[in-house]
Amino acid sequence: MPDDVDPPATTLEEIPPAQRTPVAGVQEALRRRWARPGGRLYAGLRWGGATIFAAIAVALVVSLLSSSGQAFGHSGLSLLWTGTWDPTQRIFGAETFIVGTLVTTAVALVLAVPIGVGTAAFLSELAPRWLATPLSVLIDLIAAVPSIVVGLWGLLVLTPVFARHVEPFFKKIPVIEWFFHGPALGPSMLLAGVVLAVMILPTMVALSRTALSGVALTDREAARALGGTRWQVVRRAVIPGARTGIEAAVILAMGRALGESIAVAMVIGNAPVIPHSLLSPGATLGSAVINFFGGVTTGLERSEVIALVVILLAITALVNAVGQLLLRSRVRPEVG
Amino acid sequence: MTIGTPPAAPDSTPVATAVPTAAAPEEAAVALEKVSVTFGSHRVVRDVTLNLARHRVTALVGPSGCGKTTILRAINRLHDDTGGKVDGRVTVGDLDVYARDTQPELVRSRVGMVFQRPNPFPTMSIFDNVVAGLRLNGVRSKALLREAAEAALHHAALWDLVKDRLHSPAVRLSGGQQQRLCIARALAIEPEVLLMDEPCSSLDPIATAKIEELITRLSTDVTIGLVTHNMFQATRVSDYTAFFLLGEDRATGELIEYGPTKEIFDTPNDPRTKAYVSGKVG
Amino acid sequence: MTEVKVPATPGPAGAGLGEGAARRRQVIRSTSARSLVRRHLAGRVAVALCAVAVAISLAPLVALVAYTTSRGIHALTVGFFTQSPIPPDGGGISNAIVGSLIIDGLAAAMAVPVGIVTALFLLERRGRLAGAVRFTADVLTGVPSIAIGIFAYAVLVEPFAHFSALAGSFALAVLMLPIVIRSSESAMRAVPRDEWEAGLALGVRRGRVVRSIVLRGALPGLVTGNLLALARAVGETAPLLFTAIGSQLFNLSPTQPTAAIPLVIYGDGTAPFPAQQQIAWGAAFVLLVFVLVLSLVARLVAGRLNRQAR
Repeated sequence: MPDDVDPPATTLEEIPPAQRTPVAGVQEALRRRWARPGGRLYAGLRWGGATIFAAIAVALVVSLLSSSGQAFGHSGLSLLWTGTWDPTQRIFGAETFIVGTLVTTAVALVLAVPIGVGTAAFLSELAPRWLATPLSVLIDLIAAVPSIVVGLWGLLVLTPVFARHVEPFFKKIPVIEWFFHGPALGPSMLLAGVVLAVMILPTMVALSRTALSGVALTDREAARALGGTRWQVVRRAVIPGARTGIEAAVILAMGRALGESIAVAMVIGNAPVIPHSLLSPGATLGSAVINFFGGVTTGLERSEVIALVVILLAITALVNAVGQLLLRSRVRPEVG
Repeated sequence: MTIGTPPAAPDSTPVATAVPTAAAPEEAAVALEKVSVTFGSHRVVRDVTLNLARHRVTALVGPSGCGKTTILRAINRLHDDTGGKVDGRVTVGDLDVYARDTQPELVRSRVGMVFQRPNPFPTMSIFDNVVAGLRLNGVRSKALLREAAEAALHHAALWDLVKDRLHSPAVRLSGGQQQRLCIARALAIEPEVLLMDEPCSSLDPIATAKIEELITRLSTDVTIGLVTHNMFQATRVSDYTAFFLLGEDRATGELIEYGPTKEIFDTPNDPRTKAYVSGKVG
Repeated sequence: MTEVKVPATPGPAGAGLGEGAARRRQVIRSTSARSLVRRHLAGRVAVALCAVAVAISLAPLVALVAYTTSRGIHALTVGFFTQSPIPPDGGGISNAIVGSLIIDGLAAAMAVPVGIVTALFLLERRGRLAGAVRFTADVLTGVPSIAIGIFAYAVLVEPFAHFSALAGSFALAVLMLPIVIRSSESAMRAVPRDEWEAGLALGVRRGRVVRSIVLRGALPGLVTGNLLALARAVGETAPLLFTAIGSQLFNLSPTQPTAAIPLVIYGDGTAPFPAQQQIAWGAAFVLLVFVLVLSLVARLVAGRLNRQAR
């Protein structure tokens, strides 16, 4: 709706006599026209749609909370820091999965952020247009690949490669090999992190590109006119200018990584233990739900699994909300 | 390029009287010879020959779209980045700007530029903005940075205003102050030439007056090339004026006339110049 | 008479501004020249590193597509497309193909109308309510698909103690809805104001203006947005795991558990037998082709839209 065309809102009676100009009369006529059936049906549809949508959003939260109510009643907040998941003994703890979620997400970010920003810088600033456009189309295509296909590839192709080559390789590097102790089995935090990185990379690249290309031309010209080389312009004027946007990109990419469950479930090994190394198999909130839900035997168990979903939802919603707010709060310099 | 003797002391009347309107006898800090700029198939400006006389202000005037800014940007090779092709010869002092082995970055360390809208780097403080050019050119010595920043801010008439808040964000300054900051930033690397592209067009009259005063003071130490669409500004601050207009084809800008400001405005040779300065055109 | 310029008193002749200026200029010039080689070199290294980043970004896509194609193509026999699974590890995925068509079709039938109509709501209404709806849609796009699957389970499976294709469609529709809403709103907002106002000024009823002018003008954008939403939904597995749950049988009824391509990929892919894994690759290849084609078509439509707008 064009921003400055208002739907007429007042009746003639509500307008003080002094302001009953011909415009008011026209408004009144339009309003009466609006009230005709065509207008009402249209309004009804719109409100209907919005109501259905709002109802779904509310129902989502309500149903998940109510389904997990039994679990929270039984375990309370200690669910968050209990490390055991043992249905037979009615002990349920999400700590393992929370740690697993955080670790895999961290690995994914460590990989995807520098590569993503570097790629975005190349596409946005350093590459000629004829090269940048097809390359960015290709990178966007990764986002279109369904997570199940990435998961399948990760499971059947990457796992053996990681077990045989990648993981042993990391064990040999002097200082950081501490992060990689333990047997190199294949399914691991590392592999899950890599798979997640592959999936969030397009998000990272696209949002960073937007941030970088949003930096004003005049800032680049200023740096150039002062004698900066092309790379100096990128490093000193463009990237700092895009910082808020890149931060938003990181957070939104994090949100995307948090929400991914199926691909992770296929490569993480699903061992419900807190990982002590990046090569350990483990579990995340999402992978745990996928693995446990089919096999639940009691109502309490089901409720506990849904509680895991609620925890995941809470974390993801928080992260995404922060990211969206950052995205909207671009710092605009005031030029008087 | 003829080299005459610059006036030893300032006259009380502006510029010696009998000066021909073509190549000035004063030393040229920047010389343009038959310079044309083309974008793709469109030639924006054609065959411009003029000088920026040393330690003088040369104004480029004319209606919008006649190539004044394009010519200005041809001096510091800003068209390298935008795909404009520059023909002709541009020299800054003894440096051939478009020679094959001339590095554009080195040209730009001798020729500074101030843009139409103030453009301080929004994420940097006042101090960081002023020394940005120095840092980009590889200067690391903190002592030198401080010294240059202070001198530049003094010359931009900004020192007293900001000396106690050098590390506050540059964007908190007003428009006119930001523009003076940009001038200081350009001056900090001690350029020989300062190019100014309609520096006052986004500013209010008071800020404009301050900057015009600044230009007049600076010109005795730095050569200034000033693009302005305001004729009166040209008469107030410039020693030489170059008048541009769209040529017969209505597509390519041309230099119509160039000479001492007084002559261009009082006794122009070309009827088109006369029409413009008397307000009939543009 | 024209104003006349009054020159100011000059500084030290020709030496630049202020004392020490000449010295500073000298130092700056030499530093600039000396550092230029280093600066250019640093630039080249940086560009090279960024190019490496690009290569690393593209490698997984290339590897994935190559591998899926090379393994998947072997599975594509006629039987693959016409037969249902034959235990223990043979047959094809015809039931999954049909199942996906049913589930995805129902999902689109639910999400697209509701989404467009809600987008109209956002279009027409300003103020905090619309802002809240919009923000909700943005937040909802980030909800993990597994949460949506569990939600659909809670409302459509548990009460009836019955898994069904319909529950799966509902889950996918919930997934698509925020995407449809936001992209439709953008597409409609992009219709130029003049066209709106021309209709309104003629006294045409608002609803009619929208129908004939706005929707028509926004059509390419709407098609693109909805195709992309569909492409996203088609590949989702987690929401279906708890709703349609999959099946070995051929099934046309929406109220029964139904096979779907992503479920086949998951089930057969995680099975230990090579023959089943082969079927998974085949299904993955089919899914990949379908999704990529959908995305490309969406892009082409968007491209046509851009050209029309000029």
